[in-house]
Amino acid sequence: MHKQTHDDCTLLECAGYFTVSGAVLYTVLHEVPDPVARVLLVGPFASERHFSYHPWVRWARYLAARGIEVLRYDYRGVGESTGGFEDMGFDHWSEDVGVLADWLSRRSQGVPLLLHGLEIGAILAARSFERGLGDALLLWSPPVHANQALRSSLMRWAGLEQLFESAENRRSAADYIRQLEQGLSIEVAGYEWSSSLWRTSFDFQLPANLQDDGVAYETFKRPVKVLKLGREAAPLVKPYVGYDEVKDLSWLYASNFEWVAAALQIPKEDRHEQGN
Amino acid sequence: MNKATERRRLITLHGLGCAVRGTYHKAQFESPGTKHIGVLILNSLSPSRAAAGDSAVYWADAFAKSGYPAFRLDMPGFGDSDGDPPPELLKFINTGGYGPIASTLMRELSEQFDLSGVVVVGLCAGAVSALYTAAASKDCRGLVLMDPYFHLPLPPRSWLWQKLIGRISRTALGRVVSNAYDRFTDLRLYLRRNPMPENTNFPLIKCWKTVAPAGLPILLLKAPTTKPRGEEFDYVRYLLEQAGSDSRVVVKVVEGAGHTFSNRTGRGGVRELTEGWLNLYFPLPEYETYSNSFCRGAGVLPTPLRPGPTASRA
Repeated sequence: MHKQTHDDCTLLECAGYFTVSGAVLYTVLHEVPDPVARVLLVGPFASERHFSYHPWVRWARYLAARGIEVLRYDYRGVGESTGGFEDMGFDHWSEDVGVLADWLSRRSQGVPLLLHGLEIGAILAARSFERGLGDALLLWSPPVHANQALRSSLMRWAGLEQLFESAENRRSAADYIRQLEQGLSIEVAGYEWSSSLWRTSFDFQLPANLQDDGVAYETFKRPVKVLKLGREAAPLVKPYVGYDEVKDLSWLYASNFEWVAAALQIPKEDRHEQGN
Repeated sequence: MNKATERRRLITLHGLGCAVRGTYHKAQFESPGTKHIGVLILNSLSPSRAAAGDSAVYWADAFAKSGYPAFRLDMPGFGDSDGDPPPELLKFINTGGYGPIASTLMRELSEQFDLSGVVVVGLCAGAVSALYTAAASKDCRGLVLMDPYFHLPLPPRSWLWQKLIGRISRTALGRVVSNAYDRFTDLRLYLRRNPMPENTNFPLIKCWKTVAPAGLPILLLKAPTTKPRGEEFDYVRYLLEQAGSDSRVVVKVVEGAGHTFSNRTGRGGVRELTEGWLNLYFPLPEYETYSNSFCRGAGVLPTPLRPGPTASRA
């Protein structure tokens, strides 16, 4: 088993519970002594978490090994965090980003903070950035609105994945959508989607001025990168093939790290992997 | 940031020389000075200890609420634990790679939490690891196996062969030939007096033959889904025969569950059956009545179960 090191010290990965109103969030802080920057990872949503977990953790470790302190967490009602998923909505998840970004930036003054989101997490990160949080923003495969991502998850669920379900539980995506539109809940990959989640997802949009790097920089005067990930980045994004294998995504990590380092003006001598 | 909530605590085990991270779900009624049976949920093939649809979180919360401390660990290379999974993960699992690893972790848990023993729970590949672990560990007191498999993957057929067979089997003559071939295969197996298919995982069957006849309580849960390719043989029937009359094997079918048991019906079914089974074999004083009611259905195959609407997340 390999251990990641930083300046000959074992890098600490401190898992903990962070209390928010009505729930506790599971967080993992990839702690770095004297970090050159900090990153809040706003991760994959609900059922996607299961598939993307490996590469998401490895990205956090990749950054930490290069002197960037990282905080990742589970949404309320998902994974190790508490709360019923069916009771949660985008307001709760937005609040979580704000609280955690605030906590992370207060750990020490003068260290720049990057918000990085994946898919629905990208919308959450972008909306927080729009409100003034963070010094830079990195978005991986942001949908235009949350419904686009939910619909895509539903299509996949109603298609291939239902082969593992019992016959009586199999329905078409159109049937599921009809149920949601009639105000009923549905179950997708073990998560109960409320009709309210579906309804509000249409209005939970990526800010228009954050859909393009250039426009975003002109508007906010802070660096923004929007990257659409392709099949080669699976299982970080769909189709999630080989999610139980170790896939080498170092090419993705390296190029994005370069951008992060440039965006946050990390000195060139601090950009290499430390301690190895 | 805290390491614990009211009912859960984050733990790190170091016995393997790397950090293995997990969650401990505190039992609701812990009497001081009394050793308890713990429940360990393995995550062999699942990328995180929460499992599909966070079903493992739900089960661990439920077992703890019933009085059994529960543990979910990310095996080395998975989830939040250190390292990377083995390059040929499935082969590693099928050959029992996680047996000694889980066994070491169970020892550490038993010492750290003063347990009288551990019941190991596993789903699919996790069930395979659980069975290997049971055979390797002195701390294992019982097994809950969800949709275990006892075969090894068949080598993929060539494109040309699939195309040829696909074409032929669609004709009337092809169907006759196909049926005749199936009968010939059955006859061949019968004449060989060895009904086990060639791709049987024999070391795993050996583990079963070690633990089941010895009386280790085993709950085998099946989802009513179609059999995968390579498992046409009725392993469950065979395993029950091999277990013998002194065994304590209970087989149940969870109606309405999918293979991951993560839907509401599946989660609820697993919870209800496992709690009943735990109370039967590892009773807590206040559950005697429930144990007796579970016992009446024990050993029946298949025993469909449709749980009530109680499977929401805590």
